Parts: sequence; C-alpha cells; structure tokens
Amino acid sequence: MEASSVTAVRGSRPQIGRLPRVRRQDNALRWGLTGVAGLILVLIAFFFIRLLVEAWPAFDRFGVFGFTFTNNWDVSRNFYGALPLLAGTLITSGIALCIGVPVAVATALFVTELCPRRLRGPLTVMVELLAAVPSVVYGLWGVFVLIPKLHGFEQFLADRLSFLPFVGGHVPGPNYFIAGLILAIMILPIVTAITREVMATVPPDHKEAALALGATRWEMIRTAILPYSRAGIAGASMLGLGRALGETIAVTLVIGNAPTIGKQIFDQGYSLAAVIANEFGEAANNPTHRAALIAAGLVLFVLTLAVNLAARWFVNRAARGRRATTEAATSGAAA
Amino acid sequence: MRARSLIALAVLPLAVAACGSSNTDTSGGGGSSAGGTINGAGSTFAAPIYSQWGNALKSQGLTVNYQPVGSGAGVAQFAAGTVDFGASDPALLPADRQTIKKGEATQIPMAFGAITVAYNLDGVAKGLKLDGQTVADIFQGKITKWNDAAIAKLNPGVKLPGDAITVVHRSDESGTTAGFTKFLSAYSKDWASKIGSDKTVKWPTGTGAKGNDGVAAGVKQQKGAVGYVEEAYALQNKFTTAAVKNKSGQFVEPTLDSTTAAGEGVKIPSDLGLSIIDAPNPKAYPIASQTFVIVYKDACKAGKSKGTATALKQFVDYGLGEGQNVLGQLQYAKLPAAVLSKSKEAATGLQCNGAPIS
Amino acid sequence: MRGLLAAATVVALVPLVLILYFLFRKGLGAINGNFFTSDPNGNFLGDPGGVKSAILGTLEMVGLATLIAVPVGIGVALYLVEYGRANRFGSVVRYFIDVMTGVPSVVFGLFVYIVLVLSGIGGGFAGWKGSVALGLLMLPIVTRSAEVVLLLIPDSLREAALALGAPRWRVVARVVLPTALPGLVTGSLLAIARGAGETAPLLFTATLVNGTSFDLSQRMNSLPAQIFADVGQAQDRLVGRAWGAALTLVMMILALTLIARLASRRSRLT
Repeated sequence: MEASSVTAVRGSRPQIGRLPRVRRQDNALRWGLTGVAGLILVLIAFFFIRLLVEAWPAFDRFGVFGFTFTNNWDVSRNFYGALPLLAGTLITSGIALCIGVPVAVATALFVTELCPRRLRGPLTVMVELLAAVPSVVYGLWGVFVLIPKLHGFEQFLADRLSFLPFVGGHVPGPNYFIAGLILAIMILPIVTAITREVMATVPPDHKEAALALGATRWEMIRTAILPYSRAGIAGASMLGLGRALGETIAVTLVIGNAPTIGKQIFDQGYSLAAVIANEFGEAANNPTHRAALIAAGLVLFVLTLAVNLAARWFVNRAARGRRATTEAATSGAAA
Repeated sequence: MRARSLIALAVLPLAVAACGSSNTDTSGGGGSSAGGTINGAGSTFAAPIYSQWGNALKSQGLTVNYQPVGSGAGVAQFAAGTVDFGASDPALLPADRQTIKKGEATQIPMAFGAITVAYNLDGVAKGLKLDGQTVADIFQGKITKWNDAAIAKLNPGVKLPGDAITVVHRSDESGTTAGFTKFLSAYSKDWASKIGSDKTVKWPTGTGAKGNDGVAAGVKQQKGAVGYVEEAYALQNKFTTAAVKNKSGQFVEPTLDSTTAAGEGVKIPSDLGLSIIDAPNPKAYPIASQTFVIVYKDACKAGKSKGTATALKQFVDYGLGEGQNVLGQLQYAKLPAAVLSKSKEAATGLQCNGAPIS
Repeated sequence: MRGLLAAATVVALVPLVLILYFLFRKGLGAINGNFFTSDPNGNFLGDPGGVKSAILGTLEMVGLATLIAVPVGIGVALYLVEYGRANRFGSVVRYFIDVMTGVPSVVFGLFVYIVLVLSGIGGGFAGWKGSVALGLLMLPIVTRSAEVVLLLIPDSLREAALALGAPRWRVVARVVLPTALPGLVTGSLLAIARGAGETAPLLFTATLVNGTSFDLSQRMNSLPAQIFADVGQAQDRLVGRAWGAALTLVMMILALTLIARLASRRSRLT
C-alpha cells in the first residue's frame, strides 16, 4: 500500500515532462540500481552453476546419493563418501541446539519478563557481544581452555553414564561434544535475540488476562508467552542451526579431524565444512578429490539453504500471527 | 551531482577488481619479480630447514615465503602453479608427474631427517623400545593401553603405567605420513593389507592434526598421547621418543648420527627419487626420510619470470652449499657426498628458456 | 522458576566472561614491545616475531571488501526500497539476498578459490581475492540492514520532496540517503566487523605469508589466518602470539561494534 502511493507520484512525473535532462538522470538512477540488483542475481546464478559444474565429476562417479550417504571418506584410495562428514556436521549441530536453545530461551524469558528493568539493556548487550567474537577465537579458546579443563568432567560423564546409548569409553581431547558446546555458545546470541523479539511482541492483554485469572508468573509464561512465541522460537532455533551447520574454523580446531562416524558423543569426527578447510590445498591437482570437496560444499549449501528456508517460514508465520492478533486487538479497541 | 558520484561509487569496486587483475598479470607467476621473492609450499617435515635458510637468504636480498602445508598440498600447489617451488618428502610418483603439466619437474634431494615416535607419558623417562609390528598395532588401535603385553615384552624392567593410548596422526597429505606408513607396512601384514602406505591413509583411530607442528601440539596437549613427528619438532618440544628396531634387529634412537647412518650408501635412481626408509645399516634409525625441493627444470617455460628462475636457483644453490652446514643445528643430516653431487648436478641443469641460469 | 531462568542467563554469560578473561590474561602477556611493529618471521626457534603484517593485511583486505560490499549492498537495498517493493523482480532479488545470508563462509571461500585462484587469474593467491570473498559475505548483511533502515524513512518525506518538483535522483541523494545515513553506517560497520573476523574465506584466497605487503595482488597475511596457523602449534611462544593476535582482533571488532551502536543511537535521536 505504501508502494502504490509512491507509484502514483512517480506516474505523475512524466506529465510535467519539461526537464528531459532530469528524466534522463532519473532513468539512469533507476536502471543503474536495477542493474546492480540484477548483477546480484547473475552472480548467485553463476555461483550455484559453477559449484554444480565443478562438483559434477564427484556426483557422476559416486552418484548424488552414493556420495552423500556412503560411509567412506578415503583420500588415499580416491574414494569419497561424505556420510562421516555429514554425520559429524549433524551431530555437532544437534548438540549445539540441545544445549544452546534452552539456555537462549530461558535467557530471553528472563530478560523480557523477570529481570529488573535496569539490567535489561546491559544483559542484552552482553549476550550480543558473544556474536562479535570471531570463530577462530572460539577455536583458540576451545583448544587451550575448554578441552583441557573439561576433559576430566567428560571422562567422568562417560564412565558414569555409560548405560546411556552413545556415551562411554575413552574420551579423547577433541570431540563432538566440545565442538557442539562451542557451537552452542556461538548460536546463543542469534537465538536469544530473535526469541526476545518474538516474546516482546506478545500482546500485553494476553499476559494480563492470564495474570487476572489468577495465574502465577510461571503459569502466565507457560500459557500466554510460550504458546504465542512457539513458531518464533522454532524459527530462531532454525537460524541458529543454519549457523552451526556452516561453522568452519572453530569446529575444525576441536572436532578431531577423523573421517569416521564416532560411536559416542565424546568421539572424534569430522564435519563437511572442516574437511573443505583442511583438504582444499592438496586437492588442487586431483580432479576427483577437488570435485568431492566442492560436492561436500554443495551438500552443506543445500543443507543450510533448507534450514534457512524453514527458519524463514517459521519466522514469517510468527510475524503473521503477530499481525493478526495486533489487528484483532486494534479493531477490538476501536469497537 | 551526488547521484552521479553514487553511481560512480557503485561501479568503483568493479573497476578496482579489474585493475587489480590487470596489475597482477604483469607480475607473472606469483609476483616474484624485482625484489627477489619466491613462494614455496609443502613439507612440514622440512619446514624448519627452509625457515632457517630463508632467514639467511633474507640478508642476501632474497625473500622466501614458505608455507608449511604438507607435502601433498605442496605438490598440488606446485602443479596448480600457485607457488614457485614445491617441497615434498617422498619422491614424485608417476601419478604426481601426470598432474604437473607446465613442464618437466626436477626433484632435488636437500636433506635427511628422522621421523620419531614421540609420546607423552608420565613416569617413563627413558625412550621405550618398540618394533614395527608394535607401533603398527598401536596406530591401528589394537593396542590401547601403555602397559599392553606387547609393549611390556619389548621393555623388560620398565614400569609401564596403565594409561589409555591416544593416537595423534596427520589430517593432511603428508610426506611424514608416507614415510611412517611405509615403515609400518613393511613390518605389519595387517597394516599393509588394510591401510597401506601413502601421504594420507584412512586412519582407524586417533585424532587428526595438521602438520608436524599440529601433531606435536596434539601429543603435548594430551596425556597418554603418541604421534610421529620429525626429530626437530620432538626436540623443540622436549618429547620422549622411542628407540625403534631396525632392519638388522637393533633398537636405535633417533639422533643425528643414526639418521646420517640411514643415508649412507643409499641407492640413487636416475630421477633422484631416493628413499632412505628402513635402511640395512645396523646403526641406522629405521624411520628416516629424505626431503626434496621440486622445481621446473625450465621455470621460464613454465610461465615464471626470469627473476623467479634466478631466485629459485639461488635458493637451491644456497641449500646445497652453505645451507648444508646449518642442518646439524636442527638435527637434520647433511646429504652424503654421492647424493650431494647428484643434487648439485640437478641444480646446474636448471634453465630459463633453454639457457642455463648463471 | 525465576531462579532457574536467572541461572540460565548466568550460564549464557559465563562464556563471554571466560573468553574475555583468558583473552586478557594470555593475550596481554604475549603482547610485548615489538608485537605490533614486527612481522612474523617463521623462525623455528627463538623469537617468533609479531603480527604487524597480519594487522595491516586485515585492514587492507577488509578495506577493499568494504569498498566492494557497501556501495553495491546499499545500491541493491535502494533498488529494493525505491523501485522493487511490489514487483516480482524485487521479491526475487530480496529472496536471493536472503539465500546469500545463509551461505556458509567456507563455501564462498571455496567458490572464490575455484573461480579466481585455481583458474590462475592474476597468478594464484592474492589479497584482492580475499577481499572479493569477504565482500560476498558482507554484501547481504549490508543490503539487509540498509533495506530495513531505508524502509523506516517515511514515504511522506519522499512524496513531499517529489511534490515540490525535485527529480527522483535528487530525492534519493538529498533526502533518502542523508536521512538514513546513521543507520546505513551502523549496518555497514556491523558487516565490516563480521568480515574482519572471518578466517575460512581468507585461507582459500589470500593464504598466509610472513611479510607485510601493500600490494593487493600479492599474497597477504591477516589476523584470523595468523591466529589459525598459530593455534595448531605446539610451541608456547607461537600459541602466545595467537592469544595476543586474538586479543587485538577482538578489540578491533568490539570497537567497530561499539561505534556502530553509537551511530544507531544517534539515528534514533534524529
């Protein structure tokens, strides 16, 4: 609706038509900007096609399915099946979500609902500062602080909880759990920020209604806030997942770089992004290896794309829901 | 006015990128013209040598940018033309040569070194005695405790702790791995058939790390860890290293002398692709390795500038001359006279557009 | 319940405190007299040198990346807001900018490595190729934030100017951009902060060297790549340099973030 009013004004311009020079300049601006925008589309098309073309030898040789889901990444025999890498990517990201999302949602709840107003700003800024720490610094910290400090604790868990599936045995320094823990910290800011925004849009009426009905604060959170922001939290988690899947350097440093599927969460493994970062140099003169790495990049790209689309869908749904209720609220107020 | 400058601003990056590329075209292969800069990449086994030589050459006006990325990446980058010279510990295979399409590659032996079995184990002060079979079983994950019977049998009287063994190996394509796995394959049939020897293998167990330095870091950071690193790295980090049983049945510790012994009387093939692993000399350390510099016989025909070709020759000449004298400080062995003269011959044969480089 | 949520918040803040604590403790210890004034020298033993070339390389490459990403990014945002709000082309562009935001940086690095490095354009690795990779990464961030800011400018402002007979380019140049400036600066600074911390795309494109270079057609060092190389080392002197470099990098990025916040605060006042 905003656009239409602009169009109307734009439509009236040519009628004046007394300054052709100005019109030329306007057109130059218009088509210049359109050109820049078009350039982006061309770039992305080129990007995708080039990756596909370069990855083709690997897909051609092993099959798209065979490449993605074969559990054998063996550079010396020039055989590339990306399942151990895909598994590592999914396991570490999964751990990151399990740890990161509850903490992020709880933090968002605390900041929006419970904490003293004075603390709100500083707390928000502090969580967001986590996003300013570069990935390689997380890796550095992981290698020299987390791994040595947590090793005893991990071994203790592995020994005591060995009755659980995927737990137990000897714990090496770098492993899935450490990588997942670092990813959890890295996705905290984005998940917290979006969850906070979604929670801030819960109509006060809902909360007040719950409280008026005699609900405790916790019941109000459970009955009014959480159901309302469920889609938003899902979207935020998905965005976090998208980040975690593509994270490279921090994971490379702490995952152990072993192209096998670990049997337990304290085993070492590999991830799609890490293998690309580690092997791109030596793959330069081996066409199959190079194609396999690019194919791994493509798998990663498709995976993150799917997750981000899902995130968008959830966030849009949350936004739509919000708009609907706000409109209902305003019309209700008007009536 | 502002709109025009805005559009100009939007177009600017393209212009910058464009002139960036045209600039680089003139500087040819990796910009090695005026100031005397050569770019090399490869072996981390030999990286301490090239950094030492690079420092000495800097005072002679030659800058050597050496990237220790592993022998595999060194050969790959050389073949792809992104560096002026490659550095690799194993000799070029026919398959490697096929990928080098810009001209004939010359591999020049530069030095010998020892691949130590280094470990981080409290309470075992002296070097453990290990043989090829036992080392293979450790790195294959068959032996998982330091007090395993197989280790105990080789070390009577040594009190072994029951710590779990954590294996640290290379994650990149490495000449050190090639030498190490070649040795293991010779002593363990199971290793030879299941894993084999190459610059990278499919490790059944352990943590992967980049470079000799990465493995050293992995060993240093984990109690009970064992890895394989060049002797210079073991000494640099004060690691305890194993005495390894050689071909004549002697347990030999990695030292400058035992590495030198491994190189004595080595067979020199016509392409200089020699190997000193598992030498028969009773004094020889068995897991010793050579290291090569790989250059184009005619760098100019391969697209490098004359300046680069000259600088490369200067680098190689230094390494085979004065450079040999500093090897001992880093515990690398000098080339024996027979090999050195062949290496120098190869260096003399380097050309620029068919003419010898003076 | 309140206690539990508060505890979770504390848990969320622990990593930040720990990271900053170790950065300062280990980083300050590593920063000595010539840390900022000497290049890494690659010496196997002894003094490893400082990070001068890494700092300068980061500044140069991020600078060029900014020159690429900010004008193009704002240009695309201008298109989206001024011309592409309702049409199909606009929504397609907006959609693909979204797609670009989600592309992992390592994939951008790989792309530039294939297209510009392996193809041998301008001979192998080069600083400007690093800038291109960083630019690709920063572009969608700039566009998204710029679009949000430009949309905030009331249409009444545009209409008023147009009604007075001002040509559209003039409205954009004199009304839209100046009004949005603080917001645009904020978005760009945040994108720069993001680009400055990226490692993977630079490893693929500009790689690592010791010496300082002011020629973007040469290989170039950068703080993230230098830290990455030093993290994998066994030597305390090299790991120390990694901590010092990490402290430097984090301080640079925090400064950018803070300036960005101040700029956005100013925009709220106007």
